[in-house]
Amino acid sequence: MSDHIDGPRQIGDPAADLTDLFAFTSPENPAHTVLAANVFPSAGVTAVFSNAVNHSIVIRRVALAGTGKDAKFTPGDKEYRFSCRFGLLEPEGGKTVQRGTLTCPGGQTLRFVVNDENGASTPDGVFRVFAGLRSDPFLLAWVGGTTKVPNLLEHDNVLAIVIEFDTQRVLNPSEGSLFGAIAETTPLAAGNNPVERPPLRYDWVGRPEQTNMRLNNGGLEGVDDLRDLWNQQTPFALAEGLKPLFRQRLVDSLTEWDLRDGKADWTPAEIAAAANVYLDDFLLFDASKPMSDASFFEIEKSTLRGKAYQTGGGRTVDADVVDLMLTWMVNNDREYLQGGSANPTKPGTKTFPYEASPNTELQAVADGVDLAAPPDQVWAVVGPFGGRWHPLIANIELTGEGVGQLRTIETIDGKRIIERLEAIDQSQRVYRYTNVSGFGVVDYTGTFDVKPKGSGSSVGWRVQFLADNQPTLIVRTIVATLMKTGFEGLQERFGALK
Amino acid sequence: MIEAREINLVCPLTDGGIAVNNLESARQRSWSRFWREPSRLGIAEYVVEQEQLTLQLLGDTNTLDRLEALVDYLDLAEAGSPRTALIQAQVTSMAHRFADARGYLAKAADGKGWSDAANRLSLSIDQACGTRLDAVLEARKRLAAQWGRLEELVPLGALHADLRDFDEADRTYQRALRQYRDASPFAVAWVCFQLGVLWGELVPDAQLARAARWYGAAIEYLPGYVKARVHLAELFCGCGRTGDAEALLIPALSSGDPEVRWRLADAMAAMGRLTEAEVQMQAARSGFEVLLEKHLLAFADHGAEFYSGSGNDAKRAFELASLNLANRPTLRAFEHAYKTAVAAGLPERAAEILAAGRNRWGTTNAFRFSPLADCGADFVKNDAGP
Repeated sequence: MSDHIDGPRQIGDPAADLTDLFAFTSPENPAHTVLAANVFPSAGVTAVFSNAVNHSIVIRRVALAGTGKDAKFTPGDKEYRFSCRFGLLEPEGGKTVQRGTLTCPGGQTLRFVVNDENGASTPDGVFRVFAGLRSDPFLLAWVGGTTKVPNLLEHDNVLAIVIEFDTQRVLNPSEGSLFGAIAETTPLAAGNNPVERPPLRYDWVGRPEQTNMRLNNGGLEGVDDLRDLWNQQTPFALAEGLKPLFRQRLVDSLTEWDLRDGKADWTPAEIAAAANVYLDDFLLFDASKPMSDASFFEIEKSTLRGKAYQTGGGRTVDADVVDLMLTWMVNNDREYLQGGSANPTKPGTKTFPYEASPNTELQAVADGVDLAAPPDQVWAVVGPFGGRWHPLIANIELTGEGVGQLRTIETIDGKRIIERLEAIDQSQRVYRYTNVSGFGVVDYTGTFDVKPKGSGSSVGWRVQFLADNQPTLIVRTIVATLMKTGFEGLQERFGALK
Repeated sequence: MIEAREINLVCPLTDGGIAVNNLESARQRSWSRFWREPSRLGIAEYVVEQEQLTLQLLGDTNTLDRLEALVDYLDLAEAGSPRTALIQAQVTSMAHRFADARGYLAKAADGKGWSDAANRLSLSIDQACGTRLDAVLEARKRLAAQWGRLEELVPLGALHADLRDFDEADRTYQRALRQYRDASPFAVAWVCFQLGVLWGELVPDAQLARAARWYGAAIEYLPGYVKARVHLAELFCGCGRTGDAEALLIPALSSGDPEVRWRLADAMAAMGRLTEAEVQMQAARSGFEVLLEKHLLAFADHGAEFYSGSGNDAKRAFELASLNLANRPTLRAFEHAYKTAVAAGLPERAAEILAAGRNRWGTTNAFRFSPLADCGADFVKNDAGP
């Protein structure tokens, strides 16, 4: 998560919580630039935008004001602001829809329907916008920056706002092609409190992970959490009085990151220069140069090394920004650090809106039965992983012992299913298993337990899965039938609890 | 009703329908993540937070069942860890199983002691049980002074209300509203509801119009706020606005909260629709019993109120109120248990409760505002008499 749940202020409405900002050349049309901002970490499949929040992506022309240890990118005053607002849910054709409005830098407005993949375009084709649920493109496959793990955002979705525009007509790069971009969420209007002023913004993001990796580096012990203070700053114009505080934190953080591998790859002067660059927190891109999955942060790095930058920088949907940043911060690009996954859940697409379609939700089926027998008596029958108590099982064979053992089930209609025991607790009378093959599912996990209830016991069975190449409804029906038949068999054997 | 525009909020709020849609959507997503990776830090905690909101605001009575499944699963994946123990403590506390919660909390300390979350839960349990209230007040004031956010101010306001310092409770709640700087309507609706309860139920001389305005504001911010609908409907019934009460309750029927059926039965009965009322009352009775069978302590106080009201079973009411009192001996629990004992024709038990209540609370400032303070030795006999 690039900037997910990054301060107490964000815990309120997740729809105001910015996760990522992207800027890249349109894969469909090289003469166009794409800006995208995502909100709502781990959004559910029916998530919609807040109608009380203004979502903006703002860009300013940036001047290169120094290189090497004096590297400096100075933003200009003129803003190009793209703002999206969203309405209430409206009933339409038996469903509910949400509409939004994009206000472009020149004041032109564009109405669109949330989740319409075609988005909406101005008649002249200069602007196009999409807003809706997409697969979270972020890839985070580290814990603590040192332990490799699978992508922590696997199967997650976010709410995305994707804006594409004609680069020449909107930004006129001939006046200067280097730009800085930020995204921010702000209150749509002031409330009705006559005394208190609303916060200037709920959240903002420039470069990825400014808050969670650098300002709140978990490796720095006993330091204050500055994220909320940072989030209240005005992008492109940090409070002068707070700059020393943030600069020192960035220096401390970058120093700590450098030593994570036990080697110092940075001099203190280089770290100070990098901290100064990070202090001006906006996503740099050069609209006149090529942007690719590997060009993220190249402008800053080359400038800090005293060289002319070669790419358009920016950040594409598929840029592996965490690994790129870790590599730079930890070993100064000496050796590429690849996390536990090389890819996000789904790669970006080459067609509008470029962020991949949303992921489906894990399905869950749960049922239970109350039996007129004590828990230990019931567990003696259903607790053994190789127990043949289910009426639909013709044969069952075990391979191995204890946790990790496999059971190969032959059903009475000739199917062969293999399941693995993942965990078992005899004292609590519960086990967990996963499906290995034979069920047309992925991520199938089942839990089976027996608990005391009154003078008898209660058997619970819960299964969750994603259907694989077959309709979810069919799998749900199969699982529900499996449970029902099994429970009927147990009721015949032990009797129903009165 | 208090119009939302009359409340001095700093930020505009997300529409209640959108917020509920997003909560439900995010809750399901969180469960999905939990089943996939039960041990991953933050996921189970997030599920518990979302389920708590779902129970508290949307009246979804299946919440506790789901959370029991969560702790079972977590215990299997990460048995005996301080993190699992803290989550077990949170869930058992939500189910009002405070003794169990304290037991889990004791296991929730790691090498560095309790986390902030464990400390806060400990305070909540003490507050819910009416124990160590001086220390709780001190800690709540300190947290409110340190952070000044709504999430610190509301429990402080509730504690002032428990201590019968009603004006201070009102000031604290109002301050919470003024301090709020977010777009989510949940917290604001919650404070409005608390203010409704304060002025409608806790002060000795209820200010019903004032309470109704706060409940109304809570519903305006969050139309799906079941408890606010139930409480406002109760007020409406009390002043003869039975049609308005019915209109408030019908949209809340799908929540499964038996209190909705109960109040709807009362409204229908008052309108002379006795057959319909009886159907709703049966549904309420069976709904309460199902909940009590599964989560006795969680619903003992609500069940006792139901049976001492139009649920019309004084003995069952006393049984439940006594259970609630044993579980959380707050001044309110003493008052309610005493009242149910009197109504059940159990003067000796009432006298015992009165004596125990005096013994525990008699020296406190709060007791001066309690109806128990006015009960003389002969009160039981007088009150219970024909």
